[in-house]
Formats: sequence, C-alpha cells, structure tokens
Amino acid sequence: MKISLVTDSTSDISAELCAEHGIEIIPAILNLGDESYQDGNGLTREEFYQRLPSLPVPPTTAAPSVGSFLERYERLFTAGASQILSFHPSERLSGIFNSARLAAEHFGERVRVIDSGQITLGMGFQVLAAAEAIARGALLENILGLVEGIKQRVRVVALLDTMTYLRRSGRVSWAKAVVGELLNIKPLVELRFGIVERLAQVRTRSQGIQRLTDALHSWGPLERLAILHTNAEGDARQLLEELKPRLPIPPLIVNVTTVIGTHVGPNGLGLAAVPAPGG
Amino acid sequence: MISPEAQARLEQFKAMPIDGQALKKLVEAGLTWLRANQQTVNALNVFPVPDGDTGTNMVLTMQSAWAEIDNLGHRNVGQMAAAVSQGALMGARGNSGVILSQLWRGFARALHNQENLDGPGLVRAFAEARDTAYKGVVRPVEGTILTVAKDVASAAKYALAETQDPFEILERVVPAADASVEHTPELLPVLKQAGVVDSGGKGLFYILEGMLRYVYGQPLDTPLATVQPLSAMNLENTLESIEPGQDFEVVVDFVPSGSLDLQKFYGELETMGTSIQVGEGEGMYRMHIHVPTENRYHPIDYVMTLGTITKVAMENLLAQMDAVGQKASPDSIELANVEPGQIAVVAVSPGRGIARVFASLGVAAIVEGGQTMNPSTQEILSAFENLPTDKVIILPNNKNIILAAQAAKDVTVKNVHIVPSRTIPQGLAAMMQFNPAGDAEAVAAKMGKSLGDVTSGEITTATRTVEIDGVSVEKGQVIALMNGKLVLSAAAVEEACMGFLDKAEAASHELITLFYGEDLAQSEAARLVDVIRAAYPSQEIELQYGGQPHYQLIISVE
Repeated sequence: MKISLVTDSTSDISAELCAEHGIEIIPAILNLGDESYQDGNGLTREEFYQRLPSLPVPPTTAAPSVGSFLERYERLFTAGASQILSFHPSERLSGIFNSARLAAEHFGERVRVIDSGQITLGMGFQVLAAAEAIARGALLENILGLVEGIKQRVRVVALLDTMTYLRRSGRVSWAKAVVGELLNIKPLVELRFGIVERLAQVRTRSQGIQRLTDALHSWGPLERLAILHTNAEGDARQLLEELKPRLPIPPLIVNVTTVIGTHVGPNGLGLAAVPAPGG
Repeated sequence: MISPEAQARLEQFKAMPIDGQALKKLVEAGLTWLRANQQTVNALNVFPVPDGDTGTNMVLTMQSAWAEIDNLGHRNVGQMAAAVSQGALMGARGNSGVILSQLWRGFARALHNQENLDGPGLVRAFAEARDTAYKGVVRPVEGTILTVAKDVASAAKYALAETQDPFEILERVVPAADASVEHTPELLPVLKQAGVVDSGGKGLFYILEGMLRYVYGQPLDTPLATVQPLSAMNLENTLESIEPGQDFEVVVDFVPSGSLDLQKFYGELETMGTSIQVGEGEGMYRMHIHVPTENRYHPIDYVMTLGTITKVAMENLLAQMDAVGQKASPDSIELANVEPGQIAVVAVSPGRGIARVFASLGVAAIVEGGQTMNPSTQEILSAFENLPTDKVIILPNNKNIILAAQAAKDVTVKNVHIVPSRTIPQGLAAMMQFNPAGDAEAVAAKMGKSLGDVTSGEITTATRTVEIDGVSVEKGQVIALMNGKLVLSAAAVEEACMGFLDKAEAASHELITLFYGEDLAQSEAARLVDVIRAAYPSQEIELQYGGQPHYQLIISVE
C-alpha cells in the first residue's frame, strides 16, 4: 500500500524537504491588485513583505480551486498511490479545506482530508511526521494516530508587530472587537485548533520576544521546533542564538508564506513547536 | 476655659442620654464644622501638585454619612451609628475619606445593639474605631489621621479614670486630638519638610471639635470667615455639590476701599446664599457665592458698598449642570462588552482621551477621577455593579484611589480584585496583560506583576513654593514627577519633559508615550514630540490626547 501526502503552501514546508519526502504542495492564491500569484511563484517573500505596508489596496488570498486538487489527486493515483492523506488548515481560517474536501469526495475513502487545526509549520510538522512514518513502513492507523497526537500537542505562537493586518483579515473575532484601538499594540497570539487566541499584548518588541521565549520554556522538552518570521530574519537569528543552548534539535528558520503573511503583516516573529509527549 | 453659658449647656447635655437622635446631632455638628474649615484642611497639602483635597474628600464622606441618617428616626444609638458607618463607606473618597469611613465602621461596631452611648461605650467605640482604621490600611503610616485616631482612643481611655460622662470624655479628647495633630510633623518627615501638619488628622480634629462646640452651644458655621490665597480658590469643583436654591454662581472681584471686616462680610453674604469663598491676592479680593435666582444681584450690590468692583461673573448653574450631565454621556467611548463569566475591568481615568485608550484596550467601565478628583466608593461600586459578570478587576490608577477601590471591594458580593496601579502608565501596562476569559485571580496577579514594566512621568505646574526630596520648587514653576516622586523643577514644560526623560533613562528604553492634557495645545504637544525625537532618534515615540486636567503631560517610558 503506497501512501502519498498532499498539503498546501500554507504548511511552509520547504521545496527541499518536499522533494526529500515526496510531499505534494498545492499553492494557495495571492491576489495583488490585478495580479494573481500562485503562492511561491513569481514573487519572493522578501519582496512581498517589503511592498506590503505601502500597497494601495490590501492583498487578498484565495483557496486553490477544487479542480487543482482533483487534478493532483488523480495524478498521484495514476502514479501508483493507493491512499492519499491531504493536510490543510482549519475550515475556520480558510476555504482551502473545503476545496480539498469537495475534490476528495470523488475518490471516496482513498483520500483522507485532515483538518490540521494549524498553519505554517504547525501543520508542516504533522505532514513531516507522517512522511517519516511512511518511510518507516508504518500502518495507516498508526500514521493517523501519530498525526493526531502532534495536532494535540503542537504549539504555534506569534508576536505581531501591529494589529492592523490581523484586524483587516476579518478572520479573528476579537481583533474586530478592538477596532477602536488607539495605542500601538503588538499582540502575542496563539493558534490552537483553528482558533486564534490572544495570549497577551505588549508595547515593545523586546517585551514580546521575552514572552516568546517564556512560552517556549514552558513547553518542556521539544521534538521539533521552527522559528517563524515575516521578513524579520535578523530577529529570528538572534532568537535562535538565545534559544540554542537549551535546544536539543536544530530548528528550522522560516520566512512565512505570503498567503499567511498578508494577514499577519511584516516584522512578525513566531514559534512552531512540537513538545515531547507527556510533557 | 469655657464660658458660663457653655458650662451650663454642658450640664444640660449631661442630664440626657446620648441616643440615636443625639448622635445624629453630633454627626451633623461634626460635618458642619469640618465643612466650615474645609479650605484650611485643603491647604495642608504636602506636594506642590494639584491634589485631591483632603478637606473636600472628608466633607463629601461625612456628607454621604449625613445623607444616610438625615431622615432616620432611630432612637437606638447602635442602629444610628451603623447607618452613619454605611453612609460614610458609600461616600468615601480619597485615602482620608476611606480611613474616616473605617473609623465610623469600628465606632458603629462597638455600639452594636446599644440603646444609649455612655462613657465606657464611647471609650470602647474610639478604641474599635482605631483598630478598624489601622486594619483598613495595608501599611499604616504614623503621623497621619491614624495616629490622631490612636491618640484620641488613648485620651478617651485615660479620661475614663476621671469621669464616666461621655461629654466630659469628649472635652478631654478634643485637646488631645489637637495636640496629636500638631505633633504629626515630628512623626512624618514629609510634613515637616513641607511645613504643614497632617491634613487628614486635622480633618478628624475638626469633626470632634465640631461635636464639642455643638455641646457648648458655640457657632459652627460662621467662623468660616477666612481668606485664602486667590490661587488656592478651587471654584471648579464646587459644581459637584449643588443643592436646590443654588441657581446662580456669582463671582465678584473687588478692591475694598477700607479694611474688610471679614466676620461682617461673611455674615451678610450668608443671608444671600451658600458655598461662600473669599480669596485675596495683592490687595484684590475675590468673592464666590451660590445664590437662588431672586438673589442673584444682591451680592454685587452689597460688594459695591465696600469698594470698587473690577469684575463680575455670573453663571447659571442649573444650565451648567445640564451641560455636565450631557458631557458625561459616553458618546464616543466604546467600552468593552462583557459577557457573563468573563472578567470586567473598571479603570479610573482623569481625562476623556485616556478613557478612550483604556476602552480600546478592553476596559468595561470607566470611573471619572484622578489626582484632583478622587471618586467615591459608591462611584466605583456603581461602575461595576450592573455589569453582567461577577468577576471584576479594578485599576485605581492613582495612589489616593486605591483605598476607595478596596472599600468598594469590601461592600460588594462580586469577586473583585484590585490591581494597585498608581499611575496611568501603570494602568495601561496592566491592561497589556488582560485576558477577559482567564482565571480572575491569575489574570489580576499577572497584571499586578506588570506594574513595574513602565516608568511613569507626570508634568504639572507647582501650586506652591516648597522643598521636597531635595528639589526646590517655586510656585508656578513646571515640575516633573517620576513614579510619583518629585524629581525636578523647570521653567517650562519642554525643559521639565526632557529632564524627566533623562532621569528615566529613556535612551536605554524602546518606547516613549505622551498623553497631553487639556492645558496643552495639540500643536505644542506635536512640537514637543519633534524635540524628543531629535534627542532620542532610536526610540519609538507615540503621542496621544489624554485630556487630563492640571497635568500638561503624562508620560510612559518602557
């Protein structure tokens, strides 16, 4: 039984890792004015984040079409797959899950669409764990159990440089509630099971970075870690230096995909971590 | 030595028991005499900053106690004392008002179920009052109203060895209170430094003295014939306590042709109206009075017989009250909606701009108030009592409001936590930690821990000349306070602001937030930001409208 893995570009798994593990990526769509980009094609993340604050019209994002999922699943089955696991962000956050689900209906049980409850490496780590398990020859039930365990344990927190983009996204109810906000506030948010929660708000970046490291230390021993940023590689590297002595594993450093970054804004900094079980 | 008439009246009183109605008379006398000397108590201000006036706070507290018993017919002294205590508690404003309400609470507790008040009962009541007041303060400080209450209790106990009569005990207690007040500067260095006695202690003395004067049959309201410095006249706040028959406010500036007979002057004015204040500066006098509509020209006609009038101002208070009522309606402040089970934050705010910022951070109720206007326990209580949740966190945002918040917590059935913020920047820092859905105790603890995250600055104009904490201040100079302590005086706002930023080591911080008050023009505030930006190029600088009175700037450095 050959199990193939599909996810979308919001998983932030690098092209190298995808190639290594045979993971298929469906790009989400970024609309910039009249131009439409497939996430990762034709516009670098660095360039996008530099332009983002001065764009006259806020960019929008869109789920890939049902057709693009159908086509990809079809191709994988033709290539010999007997089972597909397709990982996507929660329905609460995006239409991607729904596109995938509609496409999967054509294949019955052969395509399992998984609501990862996460984005970026919070989802990517679930996919990577599945890939490693497949390589070890694990059974489907064991893979699904492993993935579910990570989904329960994974932590994704981020320090946003401003509320502006999150509020504009319309995806977070509390962000709308504080629409009259006057002070420049940097929110610290956590994504759990598809819901963006406000952990804290700070007024200076150093307070925020301190909160991130505090959060990390509260999670105990880690299986996996990624340092996420939206064009703040300097800060991300500095955070890595601070955390390094306490980390058993070298973390990934990821400039987050434009489709997510549109809703977060530039200069954000975050962590995606999988704490060890029982921690 | 007292007059034969007073002695005769004392003998008369001694023949009667002190029941509920007699206590009521004594309370009224204490209030009346305190009010007569309100400005004297207000003038005993240590810091040269526009301050929550102790005299006013204590009068308003006693007034609330009086309002509670005004129509009560109890003969039982225990019940009457309980009502006084309840009224004082609900109206308590400022630290001194809250301590005063605690004194009444202890006093009433000792008289529980008593028909009449006898000598030993009075001694017990003074002792219980003292104990309750000390317990009402987290860190009792000697040289304050607490010390005076303690000395009163001791004096009463010693008096009991000589007499069982409550009035004779009161006769001995009043001079002891006076001596205790005079001794306060020896116990509290800041008083000595400022050359004043403790204001709260002085207020307590006036209440007790008023009771004794009533017993002696001495006048309680006329010797209010005092003249204050013009600058100390606080005519704004008189609006708060307008009663029927005070339709017009009349202010007349004049230069008397001869020397002014103050007793006679006050006597004449009292036939026309109330809220009389007289100020003097460089030979010019200012007279302030509230009068009913039909009397509105009488004070002017009268003053004209005494000298040359330089200016007359007349205002329709009823119309003004309406305007105040309208201003209070929260038109553009969007407070957070609280759902049952969530935590609601109540913040005290001295200005509209600051209130809006608090609201934007998720505050569910705003109590107007601050340094110059301490809200009462009742006002704080009313702010949260109708919110649809039992979990409440209060941010007093001023050291003089923490006790009133505590008192509000003590009388409500709701689960209230107080995060003892002493400044606006501290209150805002605490709001950064707020999470309405969290566990109230844990959230309050987190908010409390964050109070040290900011350095607070306040820029204001000195109200008098003094030397405090090694800083010499001339009246009218601009001064800067850092975390509530006076750190420098300067000629202008800019100099004070830059001096403060230097002392606060702003260069090693990231963010400077300025809230400009109602006395500073926006353009001037914006200019100031440019000056600061030039001096602190790597700091983020944020300017906000605060709208607070008296304080040109409130500054947060973090």
